Amino acid sequence: MAAVQDGPMELDAEKEAKPEILSDGTSNLSGNTASGTLSSSPLTAAPAGGAPKMEDQQTLIAVLQFLKRNKLSESVEILRREAGLGEHQEGSQATDGSGGGKGDGDGGDANSLLSRVSITSAAAPQSMPVKSDCIINIFRCDLPFMFMLSEDQPDVSVVLSAYSQQGDPPLYQVYYSGLKNFIESVLDCHRAELSQLFYPLFVHMYLELVYNNHETEAKAFFDKFSGDQECYYQDDLHILCGLTKKEHLKGNEVLLDFRTSRFVLHISRDSYQLLKRHLQERHNNQIWNIIQEHLYIDIFDGMPRSKSQIDSMSGSLAGEAKREVNKAKVFYGLLKEPEIEVPLDDEDDEAENEEGKPKKKKTKKDSLGSKSKKQDPNAPQQNRIPLPELKDSDKLDKIMYMKESTKRIRLGPENLPSICFYTFLNAFQGLTAVDFTDDSSLLAGGFADSTVRVWSVTPKKLRKVKSAGELNVIEKESDDVLERIMDEKTASESKILHGHSGPVYGVSFSPDRNYLLSSSEDGTVRLWSLQTFTCLVGYKGHNYPVWDTHFSPFGYYFVSGGHDRVARLWATDHYQPLRIFAGHLADVTCTRFHPNSNYVATGSTDRTVRLWDVLNANCVRILTGHKGPIHSLAFSPNGKFLASGSTDGRVLLWDIGHGLMIGELKGHTDTIYALKFSRDGEILASGSMDNTVRLWDSMKAFDEVETDDFTATTGHIHLPDNSQELLLGMYHSKSTPVTHLHFTRRNLLLAAGAYNSQ
Amino acid sequence: MASPKTVPKDAQVMMQILKDMGITEYEPRVINQMLEFTYRYVTTIIEDAKIYSTHAKKSNVDADDIRLAIQCRVDQSFTSPPPRDFLLDIARQKNQTPLPLIKPYTGPRLPPDRYCLTAPNYRLKSLQKKVSSSAGRITVPRLSVGAVSSRPSTPTLGTPSVQTVGTKVGTPVSLTGQRFTVQIPSSQATSVKSATPTTPTVQNVLINPSLIGSKNILITTNMVSQNSSSDSTSLKRKHEDEDDYDAL
Repeated sequence: MAAVQDGPMELDAEKEAKPEILSDGTSNLSGNTASGTLSSSPLTAAPAGGAPKMEDQQTLIAVLQFLKRNKLSESVEILRREAGLGEHQEGSQATDGSGGGKGDGDGGDANSLLSRVSITSAAAPQSMPVKSDCIINIFRCDLPFMFMLSEDQPDVSVVLSAYSQQGDPPLYQVYYSGLKNFIESVLDCHRAELSQLFYPLFVHMYLELVYNNHETEAKAFFDKFSGDQECYYQDDLHILCGLTKKEHLKGNEVLLDFRTSRFVLHISRDSYQLLKRHLQERHNNQIWNIIQEHLYIDIFDGMPRSKSQIDSMSGSLAGEAKREVNKAKVFYGLLKEPEIEVPLDDEDDEAENEEGKPKKKKTKKDSLGSKSKKQDPNAPQQNRIPLPELKDSDKLDKIMYMKESTKRIRLGPENLPSICFYTFLNAFQGLTAVDFTDDSSLLAGGFADSTVRVWSVTPKKLRKVKSAGELNVIEKESDDVLERIMDEKTASESKILHGHSGPVYGVSFSPDRNYLLSSSEDGTVRLWSLQTFTCLVGYKGHNYPVWDTHFSPFGYYFVSGGHDRVARLWATDHYQPLRIFAGHLADVTCTRFHPNSNYVATGSTDRTVRLWDVLNANCVRILTGHKGPIHSLAFSPNGKFLASGSTDGRVLLWDIGHGLMIGELKGHTDTIYALKFSRDGEILASGSMDNTVRLWDSMKAFDEVETDDFTATTGHIHLPDNSQELLLGMYHSKSTPVTHLHFTRRNLLLAAGAYNSQ
Repeated sequence: MASPKTVPKDAQVMMQILKDMGITEYEPRVINQMLEFTYRYVTTIIEDAKIYSTHAKKSNVDADDIRLAIQCRVDQSFTSPPPRDFLLDIARQKNQTPLPLIKPYTGPRLPPDRYCLTAPNYRLKSLQKKVSSSAGRITVPRLSVGAVSSRPSTPTLGTPSVQTVGTKVGTPVSLTGQRFTVQIPSSQATSVKSATPTTPTVQNVLINPSLIGSKNILITTNMVSQNSSSDSTSLKRKHEDEDDYDAL
């Protein structure tokens, strides 16, 4: 099985070693690995005589399966002996991806073998499918055919049936210890890299033992080796510790995904050669089999990485990201702002009223967008995705925005923002989500009692539109009709919105302040109108808790992510999602739109951040490095950088264009739930459960990025440990964890959290 | 937290489980909730298993019954999200369609009304015009009820549009022995289906005198969707059923 991907230069050398490692030299990586599976069979068939033999194999195996099902074991033995099936599978073990083909396997093995053989026959062996839609992902190729073949078996058994008996259970400890001894004996420079193998091997071996009902051996194996694993895998190990029986594995989608996907490791060529040589010298190649089947080793040429480099990038449930995955072009530039002619009279009135400034000059064009007439090469086309047109009210908003931005304070290390903290009292730990409107006039809170409350931050009260009967009688032609339609009698500082049937985990205002979205544990996302303070639509799609939702910066689209491990893109006028972003191995906990609305970032419990393209829902970036579930994401205002915070207390900074980690901000001691860049991107504010708000110098962090060729190709960055220099300020609240941060248009920092009296 | 010595054994076990799973901080009520859940779950499973074993005519409950019970419960209550390949499959299907173009100037962009929650989920009770002789009138139907009560009323009155009563009465329908009341539904918020006039005033009901039976015709004028209770049950008026009861 193509467990290894080499650079194109090594193609010739590798071709000799084809029976062992298949690499195709095609640029499509997943095409390679899938075609690796697919092409392995013709290779094994080739020595045996070509295509017709393969079909005979198939029928033989089908007969074997049938006999096994009917418990005709003697016939099974006879058939196997005569057909030479057992040995044949043994011989092709290293090459054939069907790891289930051991002679002494149970019904599951033949099943999986059957399924794999039919995969190979399903696609023409000669033509390597390079189409992206049928390649999908490698971890997929096993499953669909297995489902088709064994309808009578429960799905889990089918899925896990590739976990065949790789050897004697008591020997697993021996194998693992053997590997451990070997790795400890290699040169220091290689040791760090090869140590990456420990965790995935440990988990896969443990799961195999559990699946094959060797409970005592599994426990012994776990006890002996779990202490050796890296500290950042401890949470996973806790979960594994409780899994001792096969039945426990059922329904645990995260583990199933882990087992079916391939854990990616970056290992330098030299280290890899060492490993390969060692494992192939030994007679029992169990570890080698597991590596081939469940791991993906991305080989790079160059110096082996140091332990710290490896540690900074690893930690996710799927290993690291393959290099090719992060190579797609991402249009991270901002869309051009529309040119808005600001009429003279309006602006003058306001300006004079407010500050008594002298009359401004003639019509001032929107200065934000007219800087360059040429298209920014990194910006997407205006019409790449359909966006709603700018209404008159939007234009007025933009004018207000421009005016406010002229009064904006320039922040910097010498000029820190003031922080205004909104503390929710009497929330009794029920505050689960907070959001501010862009102009900071409204504040919404989602609560565990399934209500959403909206407050007015300014002295202006919240008013809803009058009822139909009253609207009939007002004079429609009057100038202040927009005021008259509002009901003064029920004006209040806050409004409560009822409708959800579970805690509200995400809230998001629309940019035009007309709508509010809320996502809840009941699996729905609700759209509320802020004119009538009633619920307009309930979007049902996730059937499991929806952890986060976010409106697009231009309105109309919104994204939601939940427990079902996908994020969905919706439009307010479609009752079904437009795009489904599937790929995470565990719950999607945080979803954010890019400022140009063409990309969506999702953070997940599988400790990766993925960037998706809205146009075709491709995953364009996979960013690994966090050691805990990610709970907050923030795009920089210029669209180039992404910051992410997780339960491990670190904030990681990513360069989206290259897909590299460019900074790590250490300091928080608890989960970071709030991240926000200031309006011009000079300061990053982070708020966490440790009751602090910290301000970081993001300008400096981004300036220090050097991306030379090596780092760009391999993604191995040496991060400077400069968290202390970048920390500009740390502010404690008494005992209020920070749930949300927001910079006003004038760069005042607002924070929100619920007072925790304990 | 209560001291370990005074805590019942089950609670001690639960505390140990929480510790093993790495949970160190929790409210004391968590133990109680977990224990309740455990008791409820185990009881449900065992009861189900008992049912299965009696169905299979076994004398004892054995492991297979328990396994079956667990399996059925898992499919019911503890469902898990769809498997990954299924998600990737439907994602692929959904992601192939291009993003729909946005129509300009369409006001609030919401899904079709069927999928919104904006429709009224209530219906107004009809307003009743109280007439002075209402009390007297009420007894009148009682008199004729005795003569008529078992007769189902004419289907002509079952239609929502009352202004056609006149014409319908003109049709050769035998009215002998049938009592009918003219009903004029009031103006209601939901009477959009019927083209009835909204005024609750009397309508001139043209009744062909030749068809009038002896004693059975009760023309109730000035009544607004009034109907005697005996007839109301048999009248299959599409939308105004409930309104009729409250008059009396």
